[in-house]
Amino acid sequence: MSAPRPYALLAEITYRCPLHCPYCSNPVAASLREAPRRRPQGAGYSKAIDLSGRELTTDEWKRVIGEAAALGILQIGFSGGEPLARRDLAELVRAAREANLYTNLITSGIGLDDDRVGALHDAGLDSVQLSFQSDETGLADEIAGARAHQRKLNVAAKIRAEGIPLSLNFVIHRRNIDRLPQMIELAETLGAERVELANVQFYGWAFLNRAALLPTREQVVRAREIATAAKARLAGRIDIFYVLPDYYETWPKPCLNGWGQRYLTVNPIGDVLPCPTASSAIPDLSFENVRGRALDWIWRQSESFNRFRGTEWMPEPCRSCPQREIDFGGCRCQAALLTGNAATTDPVCTLSPNRSVVDEVLRVLNSSSDHAPDWTYRNNPIGIQ
Amino acid sequence: MCFGPYSMPFTVPIEIADSAQPRLAKGVRVQTDSATGKSVLLFPEGIVELNETAHEILSRCDGRTLSEIVRELAREYDSDLAALAADVRETLADLQQRKLIELT
Repeated sequence: MSAPRPYALLAEITYRCPLHCPYCSNPVAASLREAPRRRPQGAGYSKAIDLSGRELTTDEWKRVIGEAAALGILQIGFSGGEPLARRDLAELVRAAREANLYTNLITSGIGLDDDRVGALHDAGLDSVQLSFQSDETGLADEIAGARAHQRKLNVAAKIRAEGIPLSLNFVIHRRNIDRLPQMIELAETLGAERVELANVQFYGWAFLNRAALLPTREQVVRAREIATAAKARLAGRIDIFYVLPDYYETWPKPCLNGWGQRYLTVNPIGDVLPCPTASSAIPDLSFENVRGRALDWIWRQSESFNRFRGTEWMPEPCRSCPQREIDFGGCRCQAALLTGNAATTDPVCTLSPNRSVVDEVLRVLNSSSDHAPDWTYRNNPIGIQ
Repeated sequence: MCFGPYSMPFTVPIEIADSAQPRLAKGVRVQTDSATGKSVLLFPEGIVELNETAHEILSRCDGRTLSEIVRELAREYDSDLAALAADVRETLADLQQRKLIELT
């Protein structure tokens, strides 16, 4: 099958992160025995293991960026983990700009002091997406498992002062979804150009913590009304993107706009992935590494990128479905996580023979009046699976 | 993780004055896509390929007013002023809704 040209590269330059958000989509690589179930207290909590010995070097990333541009990539997102944990970030941004890429920084903001904001701006950074856990310190810091919220507010002000376009990213879940109006208000106060209100998607740590994070049906209905009203009210001032919680949907999301169609991810150690969660969600798929192969070959020729490309791989009911070129059968990682088989229809789809798996999760959640269970905080990785 | 979050469709009609000066919004870049030779708009988390009309309009969004842009395009393409004005307004309104241009 011939490969289309890709548009965007997600460069996950490190999995190290100062925050411990329980909804992180990074692989659950650390030993769960070490993950505290409650808010970590004091110093010594984090058993961060430095992966820098295995992470791609600055020169290796520059080579990847050059190869990506040659492949037709127009956008790069520097992500992680926390990309600021790498001291060479500004150098990589500069390399990307020199390759004519549009550069996004996707960050918690922790570590973004005045000098670094300036250095990143000088390097040509086009846009910053700053994550927030909630609108107020208590809850936000509880979710992050770190004292982060006040620092983020300061960072937002610095980014504004420097004149870099700012998006705020809120991951929405059961514990913060009722504060949607206040989160939107915060975005207005901080002068963001764009707000993403993304209901948590269940991969990595979020899958592990699903029972604690999945909102109730009542919450979801209310949140949708609030987001719709805010979108209308702020049209032309703040661009609001509301990402639906797909378990409550009837049709699956058009994940990635199709496997191996537009996007690729390179993880901290150089594995090239069709999507960031594929390496942990689909264990029977093996991935090529930029240390062993050219990016162009991996995109066009590799087994991992071709496995679910197009519609040939599809089973029924996708194969004969009129929606097959619209939603592409949904998400391969979700199919793998919920059924053990990545090559099956996303169970979110109402036509999926496995929809009952999703319905049962929703039934249990919505028929119980119990409080959400505690979550497990994300640890820094001790290895990459 | 899922890319390209699909947002709820919603449009609010806006009025654009003849004297409005459209400019590219902060953080929006126009460049040539080397893979296709076409113009593209690049912005946070998004890429829009420009058709010829949009390219012609956007390449004039540099401080010129709406009525100047319309007059120039009408002259260049020898087309009906009223119909062209409606097209340009529609394109600019769409871009403004998406915060890709600013009107001053």
